[in-house]
Amino acid sequence: MTSPISTSNVFWTVWLFVHLILALGLLGALTHQAMAAAFPVRQPAGGIVTRFRAVSAPGYATAVCVLYVLVFLIGSFIYTSYRVNIRIPLEQGHYFKTGGFFDFKEHVSTLGLVLLPAYWYFWKNAQNPEYDNARKGVTLVLAVMVWFLFIVGHVLNNTRGFGA
Amino acid sequence: MSTTVTANSATAPTTATGSALAASSRFKVFAITFSIAGPVVYCLSVYFNLAVFTYFPAIGRFAWGVEAVQSGTGPNMLWYGWDVTTILVAGVLGLIAMMLPERVTNKIPLFLVWLVPILSIPYVVYALMFWWRLAMRE
Repeated sequence: MTSPISTSNVFWTVWLFVHLILALGLLGALTHQAMAAAFPVRQPAGGIVTRFRAVSAPGYATAVCVLYVLVFLIGSFIYTSYRVNIRIPLEQGHYFKTGGFFDFKEHVSTLGLVLLPAYWYFWKNAQNPEYDNARKGVTLVLAVMVWFLFIVGHVLNNTRGFGA
Repeated sequence: MSTTVTANSATAPTTATGSALAASSRFKVFAITFSIAGPVVYCLSVYFNLAVFTYFPAIGRFAWGVEAVQSGTGPNMLWYGWDVTTILVAGVLGLIAMMLPERVTNKIPLFLVWLVPILSIPYVVYALMFWWRLAMRE
């Protein structure tokens, strides 16, 4: 059986790094935005937490969508290697919870992807108070999803990922 | 460093996007319908195994619809097929919604956009029961 994905570890490691770096950007942007949406700053303050929330949240919307799609596409590509080279050894090693959580991550990533059109629309119309609650809700849900995806990916990588 | 706080919250007036898409009421209906229908369609795709195609990563082969693992094919992947099914069906539903009169589309509750994905999570966890059963046997 000739496997088209049995290329070198370096190839997959580079893609994993790109996935990680873009995911970090997404995580940072979405966390800033979620904090700004959930706890809007009403008056100037100098604390680090306040400044973390005091970002121009609407400006993040397009970047978040672009980053999410890029991370999703690259993750989908890496997934082909995961399915053959990582998941099978995980099953053989009885790492069932790890494997289960990766599949959970797979589902959550799709649920997040389909939220993007409404998320983008709500933020591009941030001046409309009619969308305030929906915008806050969808941003928080998306932020929780991205944190979940990031943590599961990180734990899985510690189990059998980088250089495996 | 001083902190200037202007237009930095979700509720504060923001810079106008100028984007025709963002100003379009039809796109609004499409986006909201797509995002509400998406999680539902995805869960149905997983439950009924409605994948547009199956991918066999070990041999790099695509097959239309759902195709089981056979000797020499290695594992199959349905997730890509489920995703494409979801995007296509939710997209069509969004397009249909765009054709409905505004008095109907204005009644779509916006909170469903964030509530439906949350409600999808219990099903998703349930769909992974085989993993949790194996884990509990350990």
